[in-house]
Amino acid sequence: MNDLNKFNYNSTRAKYARLGHKLNSVIINIILNIFAFSMLIFGIILIVTGNSIGWLLIGISSIFFIFIIVTEMLLVKVPLGKTEDINDLLSSNSLALMDKNPTPKKIADKLIRTRSGRFLALRFGIIPRLLEGIANDLPDDITPIFEISRKIMKKIGATQISGGILAVAIIESHENHEEILARMRLSLDDLYEGVTWYNYLHGLVKDSKKKRRDGGIARDFTFGFTPMLSRFGQNISAIRNANMKTQIFRTTNKEAIAQMIEIFSGGGRQNVALIGPEGCGRSTIVNAFSEELLDANSKIKNNLKFRQIFKLDASALMSGTDGQGDIERLVTMLLNEAYSAKNIIIYLDNAHLFFEAGVGSVDISNLLLPILEAGKLRTILSFDEQRFLEISAKNPALTNALNKIIVTPADENETMKIMENQVPYLEYRHKVTYTYWALKEAYRLGERYVKDLAMPGRAIRVLEDSARYSKDGLVFGESVSEAIEKSEGVKLQTSTDTVEKKDRLLNLESLIHERMIDQEQAVHAVSDALRRAAAGVRNENKPIGTYLFLGPTGVGKTELAKALSEVYFNGESEIIRIDMNEYVESSDVNRLIAEGATDAMSLTAQVQKHPFSVVLLDEIEKAAPEVLTTLLQMLDEGILRDTKNREISFRDAIVICTSNAGADLIREKIKNGEGYDSLKDELVNHLIESREFKPEFLNRFDEICIFKPLEKDDLMKICDILIKNVNKTLAPQKISVSLDDDAKALLIEKGYDPMLGARPMRRIVSKTVENIVAKKSLGGEIGSGSNVIITKAEIERELE
Amino acid sequence: MMTKGLIFWWYGDGYRLFAKKILTKLGDTVDFFSIGSLLKTLFAPYRQISANASGVSVDGKILAFIDRLVSRLVGGVARIGIVLAGIVVIALQLIFSIISFIFWPLLPLMPIISIVLWVMGVAL
Repeated sequence: MNDLNKFNYNSTRAKYARLGHKLNSVIINIILNIFAFSMLIFGIILIVTGNSIGWLLIGISSIFFIFIIVTEMLLVKVPLGKTEDINDLLSSNSLALMDKNPTPKKIADKLIRTRSGRFLALRFGIIPRLLEGIANDLPDDITPIFEISRKIMKKIGATQISGGILAVAIIESHENHEEILARMRLSLDDLYEGVTWYNYLHGLVKDSKKKRRDGGIARDFTFGFTPMLSRFGQNISAIRNANMKTQIFRTTNKEAIAQMIEIFSGGGRQNVALIGPEGCGRSTIVNAFSEELLDANSKIKNNLKFRQIFKLDASALMSGTDGQGDIERLVTMLLNEAYSAKNIIIYLDNAHLFFEAGVGSVDISNLLLPILEAGKLRTILSFDEQRFLEISAKNPALTNALNKIIVTPADENETMKIMENQVPYLEYRHKVTYTYWALKEAYRLGERYVKDLAMPGRAIRVLEDSARYSKDGLVFGESVSEAIEKSEGVKLQTSTDTVEKKDRLLNLESLIHERMIDQEQAVHAVSDALRRAAAGVRNENKPIGTYLFLGPTGVGKTELAKALSEVYFNGESEIIRIDMNEYVESSDVNRLIAEGATDAMSLTAQVQKHPFSVVLLDEIEKAAPEVLTTLLQMLDEGILRDTKNREISFRDAIVICTSNAGADLIREKIKNGEGYDSLKDELVNHLIESREFKPEFLNRFDEICIFKPLEKDDLMKICDILIKNVNKTLAPQKISVSLDDDAKALLIEKGYDPMLGARPMRRIVSKTVENIVAKKSLGGEIGSGSNVIITKAEIERELE
Repeated sequence: MMTKGLIFWWYGDGYRLFAKKILTKLGDTVDFFSIGSLLKTLFAPYRQISANASGVSVDGKILAFIDRLVSRLVGGVARIGIVLAGIVVIALQLIFSIISFIFWPLLPLMPIISIVLWVMGVAL
């Protein structure tokens, strides 16, 4: 075994590779060609003019020609050997860079000079410094690296050991490789995938250099001209033919293409309906199918070979015509032209636009249906599955006339492969480079937050959006998070979170207490939930937290929700507040979950627009039992379906329900000095027994927080907060207000009502302090820069 | 060792690779001129330009027949033209390929051959 891993610096392959590496230069190649051809031509001229020295020049030119041929065909890419020996398996590039006595460190140092090494460095962060840090300088340690390389090569189905495989082998040979990779959020499987990805892209580039056989210049001689189609449609075959071949990774898509070939080659109805959600790859199937038809080497029947696909777009047709009659005439002409030409397949993308009247759509089902039923003209229709159901419900004949092929969304592996294939195009378009982590994040976050597209379209769109947030031309995982945050209105934890933000989270309780006082248990519970969410240790298939705040009125239940929104969710505007006393009838369920287009203020519509919010369901005890039942799934799984059956995610929201139920019991028990835990149990039992809430509803909350009634001491702090708020309002006018101690004591005395909590206090501050300031301001007593000290006497005057 | 390896490659794998390249290029040229499909459809109507005769009078049918005949003739002429051009190009490429194929084994010997011819004073 060890002999197989013994590197031979003087092997023929190694010598060729080193020589090829030196000669592989465009300048050298040009110089050699100039010499070769000029000597050949000059030699021939001399011979023709009777001078035999021309033979000498031809002889010399032949040496140059041999040199050029050998370099191009042998040295630049030395063929692999036929044995399992490492000298036969190393790629030409790796071989050329090998030292006489290679050590892991020496190899690590040079890997960046190989394309695959650079690929891993750029996309996976496997930079030379990292490899050099792990690798040692012991010549004996090269043997296990070669052995691991051979294992990786076999595992991923590669044909040679490239620089990338050597890099992965150096990492794998390190005893703490799992820890090292975990720090980079990678695993060995990711690196194997990276090498496979490189090999795949390398293969694509190689294939693109091969000339594609597509039937030649006389291919379309027997088929008709299509001037109208060229004007109003889009020849997909012509577009695709100019580019690289579309790769199909999904077995289901390959099967769909095979089915299309079978349907269009056979004698049945010549139509296919591709049905699947938006983004699942229907267009990719049509593109790949069009390429298959134009491939002279494909094994399809002659009656289908070299047929071309024209895409018709409803909005383009509408813009070129005036009214329904005109459109019908135009479509008739287009379809006639396609039929007469004999090589056209019509493709109606988003075909529902041709079967329903509306903005950007036109109902020409009366025209299309007979054509589809007759099945003479080859037609491909692509439908969104939901739209297809709606149309076929209205028009059952359509369903019977079509050969349906269901296209399902891609799974994670398939989506990753598709993204890896798409990355070169995206990079070319956006002038960026995507890291592997960005691809993984695009899948993970796309799956979670982007709802209007299916995979793989969803992940690809996220990748495209992320290009805008690249750093130095590189798209990282953080760029993807940023793109999702901006486009979906959610807040994600990233490694770039600032120290300030982290401090804020750690001191959430004190920040909340700047706005409200006491209620430690509730404040602590919600703060913990937010910290768990920010640290990524929460259950992601539920809302961030679900809380039931119980307590008398005016004790800070709603205020806590607002404080949370301000401190963590970027301000009070991120609070979605629903007064549940407006949902007292069972029929109100529909209003609660109405789709956004019909009711923008429904719970589902608001959460869809602002998923990263505090959802405050006030006075929940007043809602109808059916409404509470509807909310169960939202509390449990973070999902609520709207009236259109679309899934609305509450998984990035904190759901807070408030209720006054059991307030008297709380007051009584607190007054009697009962402990918090026993009060909580007693209260829950009371609520169940009094049938105010069902046990399954109460059970769904992460925590039931009891808000205790406020005492006079608490009001002192509330008074300070209220005065602070008044000062905040007056800040633009540069006026500040303060109260002397007697004034404050009076306000507390007048504002204290154990039944109503802090609300009377708020009213009395508004009635006295704000009024005094307003009068002074209008009377010209105070102006910008004034500091108003309000006395007890002034308050008394206001209260009279 | 290296020289020996190069000689073996030149007359072994290199020669095979060269032959494959020649054949691929010939295939590309044949595909470019669509010779196969041109011969199969030699007298098919050119670009489907012909009148539709269904449901018309006998005169109309005769006219349509003549129309189609003309279209077929035009198609035939166009196709024969391309087939002929293609045959010429392919023939020239074939000749060049055969010469290259024959010349390949002689190329490494060219320096010696040319020195001999120079010493012998061979010239035109």
